[in-house]
Amino acid sequence: MNIHRFLLATLLFACPLLAVYAIKQTNWGPILATPKSRQTGDPRAKVTIVEYSDFQCPSCASVDPTVHKYLELYKGKIRLIYKYYPLPRIHENAMTSAHAAECAASQDHFWPYHDRLFETQLSWAKLQDPATSFMAIAEEVHLDIQKFQACYADPSPLKIIEADSQEAQAHQITSTPTFFIGDDRLVGSVVVTDGARAIEKALRQ
Amino acid sequence: MRIRANDLVILFSRLAIGSVLLYAGFMKAVGPSAEFAAVLETYKLFPPSLLTPLAIGLPYVEMWTGLFLLAGLYSRQAALLSTLLFASFLTVISAAFLRGIDLSSCGCFGSDILSPRYTFILDVGLLVLSLTTFRLTKLPPPLSLDRAFPKV
Repeated sequence: MNIHRFLLATLLFACPLLAVYAIKQTNWGPILATPKSRQTGDPRAKVTIVEYSDFQCPSCASVDPTVHKYLELYKGKIRLIYKYYPLPRIHENAMTSAHAAECAASQDHFWPYHDRLFETQLSWAKLQDPATSFMAIAEEVHLDIQKFQACYADPSPLKIIEADSQEAQAHQITSTPTFFIGDDRLVGSVVVTDGARAIEKALRQ
Repeated sequence: MRIRANDLVILFSRLAIGSVLLYAGFMKAVGPSAEFAAVLETYKLFPPSLLTPLAIGLPYVEMWTGLFLLAGLYSRQAALLSTLLFASFLTVISAAFLRGIDLSSCGCFGSDILSPRYTFILDVGLLVLSLTTFRLTKLPPPLSLDRAFPKV
């Protein structure tokens, strides 16, 4: 074989490997602090699970019971942090549902609201204006309706959602739900099959 | 030096296919492989044990094919490989369409989202170009390492 051709081929094979390796050394930025209202589990737990999720995403709703199961099973050992990552390009009510959830969070009722949003997802996901459904859930979880309505009409909670979304993009998250458990990144429904293994691994570290 | 029409077609095709493959592979390779594996899972075509190796390996195969086409080294072999790649992509995406799978993104360009419909059109175009390049590249093409460093 011609030595020049061999050397050039080796160089072409090596270039992408080196370039990708160099870029992957980049730090994509920290996971920012999240208000207590969007955290559940033991605050002193050894393992923190960070979930980036979209209320209108069917996979996010389908993995929610599993996440609850883990919180029960590993009580005192894990803590869950919820981060908004609405994908309005494919889910038209993703942003409004996150907005409603943030209004529930401001009244310290994020988790019951979060659960009901997922449980009733099919009923509001395709509505042109899901506000009535969101109000109904607010009543169901005993929120102060006047405060909730005022918050829902106010665009300022969207800044919080956008900050979480920017953080997700910085971590190159393209699918929801994405979970960070210790060193593991679990994307989509993988958390159902691999979540317990990832938690056990993080607990051992 | 006389440049034939075929040479121009080959040059254009090499640049077009090479750039797309290099970009697509790079965007996926620098992103987390778990993200690409999750997209591959939505096609409901691959066994779970194959998802991670495919998500890690495929971007590099794309980048290498793209680079060899751009540089014009082993051009004919690279054109054959790109033909096989685009034929595979078309098969996978057509299978998803036929089974009514709603893909929000094809996953082709990592964090850059391209709708599966546009991907299908792009893949058809690039398959035609790859096949043309493969058929026309009988001799080392112009502006290529194959011509600068011919086989002994």
